[in-house]
Amino acid sequence: MAKARALDKRRRSVKSIRKITRTMELISRAQFKRAMDRASAATAYTRRITDLVAHLAAAGMQVKHPLLTPHAENKSMVLLVLTANRGLCGGYNSGVLRASQAAMTERAEQWGEVRLEVSGKRGAANFKFRKIPTAETYTHFNEKVRFDQVNLLATRYLDEYAAGSLDRLDVAYMKFESLSRQYPVVETLLPMGRLGDHSAAGLGGPQYDFLPSAESILDEVVPAAFKAQLFKCFLDAAVSEQIARMVAMKAATENADAMISLLSMSYNRARQGQITGELLEIIGGAEAVQ
Amino acid sequence: MSTIEKTKSSPAKNKGRITQVIGSTFDAEFPEDCLPRIYNAVKVSAEYKNVKIELTGEVQQHLGGGRVRCVALGSTDGLVRGVECIDTGKPVVVPVGKCTLGRVFNLLGEPIDRRGPVEAEEYWPIHREAPAVTDLSTKTEVFETGIKVIDLLTPFVRGGKAGLFGGAGLGKTVILTELIARIASAHGGYSVFAGVGERTREGNDLWLEMQHTKIGSTDRRVIDQTCMVFGQMNEPPGSRLRVALSALTMAEYFRDTTGADVLLFIDNIFRFSQAGSEVSALLGRMPSAVGYQPTLATEMGQLQERITSTNRGAITSVQAVYVPADDPTDPAPAAAFGQLDAFIYLERAISAKGIYPAVDPLASSSRVLDPQFVGERHYACARRVQMTLQRYRELQDIIAILGVDELSEADKLVVHRARRMERFLSQPFLVAEAFTGKPGEITPLADTIRSFEEIADGKWDHLPEQAFMYVGAVEQAAEQAERMAKGK
Repeated sequence: MAKARALDKRRRSVKSIRKITRTMELISRAQFKRAMDRASAATAYTRRITDLVAHLAAAGMQVKHPLLTPHAENKSMVLLVLTANRGLCGGYNSGVLRASQAAMTERAEQWGEVRLEVSGKRGAANFKFRKIPTAETYTHFNEKVRFDQVNLLATRYLDEYAAGSLDRLDVAYMKFESLSRQYPVVETLLPMGRLGDHSAAGLGGPQYDFLPSAESILDEVVPAAFKAQLFKCFLDAAVSEQIARMVAMKAATENADAMISLLSMSYNRARQGQITGELLEIIGGAEAVQ
Repeated sequence: MSTIEKTKSSPAKNKGRITQVIGSTFDAEFPEDCLPRIYNAVKVSAEYKNVKIELTGEVQQHLGGGRVRCVALGSTDGLVRGVECIDTGKPVVVPVGKCTLGRVFNLLGEPIDRRGPVEAEEYWPIHREAPAVTDLSTKTEVFETGIKVIDLLTPFVRGGKAGLFGGAGLGKTVILTELIARIASAHGGYSVFAGVGERTREGNDLWLEMQHTKIGSTDRRVIDQTCMVFGQMNEPPGSRLRVALSALTMAEYFRDTTGADVLLFIDNIFRFSQAGSEVSALLGRMPSAVGYQPTLATEMGQLQERITSTNRGAITSVQAVYVPADDPTDPAPAAAFGQLDAFIYLERAISAKGIYPAVDPLASSSRVLDPQFVGERHYACARRVQMTLQRYRELQDIIAILGVDELSEADKLVVHRARRMERFLSQPFLVAEAFTGKPGEITPLADTIRSFEEIADGKWDHLPEQAFMYVGAVEQAAEQAERMAKGK
């Protein structure tokens, strides 16, 4: 009976794991819906303001805004890695971490030391395990990330960039494209040049008159665009995390189901084998005695 | 008392008649005053309606009224009641000595290789006492095979017994043949092979192979130092029940008289128990657990106790043990289990991954895997490998449900190395060269230990898993990885 009992015990533990994964799947499905709404709302705003910056920059070519121009010196670079605070979300964290690792080794050649800032307990734990020092770790950005939280961070980057103690800011995160497609990316947010140039190319765009001056308008719009972009990264990350968790937990539930049915089959077989064996022994014994 | 006296004085002349034939057992009636003793051989040599019957039986029971019950050691086809039988006055005897080398016998000691009769100076009965406790050798010396998984985790003992346990089709016979190729070809002493209830074809293959293989760098063939005894699947149960004893008797002779190191290979000891259970019910014994004979442990004990090393000479034995339905708690393999020094368990899940030899590194063990015998370094390395693989096995349920991404970083590393170790336990075999296309690898123990230490330390983490399949020392894995990279 030892084998049957061991199988039953294992089956019970798999069943309780299944209960957890199933619940987590449902929770992340609900949270995904909310995060998705916020992200799509932000997407429209971000795209508009990015386009606006691009157009303005294109229109006022003679004006240079500090955030749009790369610094002459390439000294100090920050890589901000957005990971989740919690696990059980499949390849989400490892995907971002792998991309950031690749980016770090690549950029390290050009930039020497890369300053690492990590959001999320999972990423922090990973870097700590691999003994890679991190300059900052944030654990307060959860699935309901607020703009004022990101604003603080963004303002600090802007100040540092303006002061010249920061020459480039890269963000590694899981980009959300659609429900079935998210992928880890490393994007350069500062200097903003590349992004503006790119989207301005194809659009003829409206003509602008700058009042009172191009500088003053760009001074307002460009930082706002940067903040919006950074906020968008966090929102994307939040949505992707929920999707990843949903998918992972769904797969886990299915795997658990498969395992339960397999274990049930082995258990039933072991139990029946036991019964048959005992019956045979009793019958055989009784016959031999007669 | 007088009956016994008489039986002893004129044993060869006792004649009796067959009174009953039941399957592979028969009853014979002898004069009440000269009954054949238990284990005596009874010969039938007759012709009935133009059918010749040549049969030897072994007395198992005295039924009373002058009747004895015998197990037939050959086929009972054509045997009829009333036929005369003769008590030979002694158990089955087999030729022993140097004349047996290079020859193939059946359990009665008759040559079956069509190379003429064997002229032996001595014949020994197959039923003998086990050596006395005072004569047993107390030396413990590790025996290197060049097979990584065996040397590292289940080291063999010189003069000890090793068992290869495994279900159907896991490669017991292949490992046994491999060990013959490795040990016998490097071994100066004699080898005895017992084919018990396995495929006749395999016995034939082995015989042919041994004629080609040379011993070490000398010109002598392996077969010249080997004698083989077969009672394969096609034989009746009585034959399979006694063939192991015949082979063992030949091995014992070499041990006791020449003092040489003798190798005894038995494939497959389970068939011995199985044959016992086939005749047990016919002999009127009540079946015991799972339908086996009630004397299962006794029979196995009597056989195994004789396979042992004494102060005069050593018998190193390797036995294959079939495990019915992959259930090692089955009474037959369980009875053999306790008798062995090294225990190698072959696992279906590992063979399903294509890793051969499919040795289960966690279920297998050896008496000498102890720092006292193998040294601290070997022991520590083996334990480390086992602990890593154990952890991997524990994590397997989690990986199956949640995926490898959910593991902690430390566990991921364990899994990473465990998967490499698992594959590194595979090894190309000399005898499988024709099938794998890879030459066999003989890995010295020192290389094996160093390789596993380095894998455990993470020196080879960068190599792909596949590179660890079927190589010798770990440097070959690196070479294989390079070849794989070039191939792409």
